[in-house]
Amino acid sequence: MTNEESVVNAINAIKKGPKVLKLYMDACVKCGTCASVCPIYYGKQEPEYNPARRSDLIRSIYKKHNTLAGRLFGGLVGAKDFDEATFAQWQERFYSCTACRRCAQFCPMGIDNSVITRKARTILDGLGMTPKSLQKVVSISLEKRNTDGASAEAFKAAVEFIEEEMLEEHGTPIRIPIDVVGADYFYLPPSGDVLVNLEATMGIAKVFYALGMGDKWTMSSKCFDGANYGLFTGNDVHMKAINEPVVQEAKRLGVKHLFMGECGHAFRVMQRMMEAGKWWGSLPFKVINCMEWTAEQINAGKLQFDKTQNPEPVTYHDPCNFAKSCNIIEAPRIILKASCADFRDMTPNGAHNWCCGGGGGLAAMNELKEFKMTVSGIRKRDQIKDTGATYVAAACSNCKRQLTQLMEHHETHVTVGGVHDLLSRAILIDGKAAKRTNYLQ
Amino acid sequence: MTSSELLVGVVLPYIAMTAFVVGITYRFSNWSKTPQPGKLTLYPTKGWDTSTAVREAIFFPNLYKGDRLLWVLAWSFHAALAFAFLGHVRVVTGQLDSAMLALGLSTANIATLSAAAGGAAGIVLVVAASALLCRRLLLRRAREISGGPDFLALLLLVAVIASGDLMRFGSTPIELAETRAWVISLFTFSPMVPTNPAVLLHAFCAELLILYLPLSKLMHFGGLFYTLALVRRT
Repeated sequence: MTNEESVVNAINAIKKGPKVLKLYMDACVKCGTCASVCPIYYGKQEPEYNPARRSDLIRSIYKKHNTLAGRLFGGLVGAKDFDEATFAQWQERFYSCTACRRCAQFCPMGIDNSVITRKARTILDGLGMTPKSLQKVVSISLEKRNTDGASAEAFKAAVEFIEEEMLEEHGTPIRIPIDVVGADYFYLPPSGDVLVNLEATMGIAKVFYALGMGDKWTMSSKCFDGANYGLFTGNDVHMKAINEPVVQEAKRLGVKHLFMGECGHAFRVMQRMMEAGKWWGSLPFKVINCMEWTAEQINAGKLQFDKTQNPEPVTYHDPCNFAKSCNIIEAPRIILKASCADFRDMTPNGAHNWCCGGGGGLAAMNELKEFKMTVSGIRKRDQIKDTGATYVAAACSNCKRQLTQLMEHHETHVTVGGVHDLLSRAILIDGKAAKRTNYLQ
Repeated sequence: MTSSELLVGVVLPYIAMTAFVVGITYRFSNWSKTPQPGKLTLYPTKGWDTSTAVREAIFFPNLYKGDRLLWVLAWSFHAALAFAFLGHVRVVTGQLDSAMLALGLSTANIATLSAAAGGAAGIVLVVAASALLCRRLLLRRAREISGGPDFLALLLLVAVIASGDLMRFGSTPIELAETRAWVISLFTFSPMVPTNPAVLLHAFCAELLILYLPLSKLMHFGGLFYTLALVRRT
């Protein structure tokens, strides 16, 4: 099949559903509100960054082939047939949308441009036109079951190191159980929270220890990464293939809860898509999130903190997948307010928060560094600056990566980390907070 | 009856109404039948129910949050449109008049009320529609996504509004009784044609708009209930 046939066939298929895409082909009134709330368009007012115009790349072909008006009047009604020159821009255009869904919150018609972006990426992926950087992440995931390509040995070594760090901090052994069949909770973080940002996993381990539940949870040396880049490349087959081993592992371990870490898209795929959509039928376990769980324990008064451990002004960046797609908004704030002396919210925040500029997989694309630093991340940079915070917590590896680069690029001297990272510094273990004062990051 | 009077007064009304009914029925049923696997819940949302839908349709809260100036224009346009639509009900039926008479208003009161409310709606409509057109031409983020259908829809609306205002403010004021007789004649399939050229002009513009509507983005008057429901369902 030629590019033209593939693209046109895929777009024609929209008339059979899903309903959401079909409606989006018809319902846009071209008012421009999406552009005024889009982080990309905020960064640079160029026509190619206007969300409605980007979505028109697909809409115009749909109209040409599938609507009476389009067939009869063509360009007069916004219909335009496939052409190679325009298609050549697709990859760049649809990978300059972070799929943050902010447009959908303000669109008077409720149109979610991220759905159109993902459809376009699905088409690109079918033609082998997913950016190489993301193709690589997906194939590493499929092969090694984690996006870092780490081995079980490397994972175990990292866990051992984290345990040593905690022993040093508290003078008492705090364990991270691995491959324990029959545990209640199977902790699945983004792999970065074990291999790179160690404090997130330290925080989780300390919470379990403080609750006297140190033996009720486990990690898996086979599946220690919740990340699923099939969401970003638009390839559902890959998305499910990356997801299935985790579900199998949770079943093998016989856990009651799949306990997702600080990774927005992983949680969305697992809870909102896999669990809600019954990809693998009914499950013997429930998908929950570590932040909601910890916040519950704090609200129940089961955890104690020494806030003076975190005296600096701290703000929270709501990852789009957590806030906009999963409604996890209060929990991280409960944790941060319990752990930090000076918590400050950004404006706007929660579900209306601005994207970090690295959503939709863009954070992992080094070739887009310039774009992320000077276009998509600008609004976020200003938002963080306005709080005066010197530490920004983000419950998402992709956000953290983007924000770290963004803060460095603009020389803002703001540290970026996770939520349980700050909890780890302030939580009382046997009545005492961690002794450490100089942290790795 | 000249041939253009026959066209505008008799032929087009039937064609336009048939196309309109068939067209929107097709589009709504087509949308309804399309399957939707999975939910796309977008927060903040309190779910989707009738009262939410009504509030969205009446106040446009999403747009209010997103673009305040556009909200002012769009809301006043749609509110005046609804008002004008209500006024047109009087053309079809005397029921509204009877109700108002029963409430103790005199025929003269009703005429004054109609002239004031209808006139105000007519002015708001022409101002808001022109402002929306200017916005589309002048505001960068709107201009760069505007195309034929966007201008066509607005121009058709402006034509309908302007010809309507011409009827109200023009030199030959319309006779409600005559217009009502014409519309009722269409319903009873014993067509006659109004003699006032302003009425014919307004009818012609409206017929074009009604013909175009099922093909156009103006379907958003119903489409938004589908699209908003899709992201609001919990």
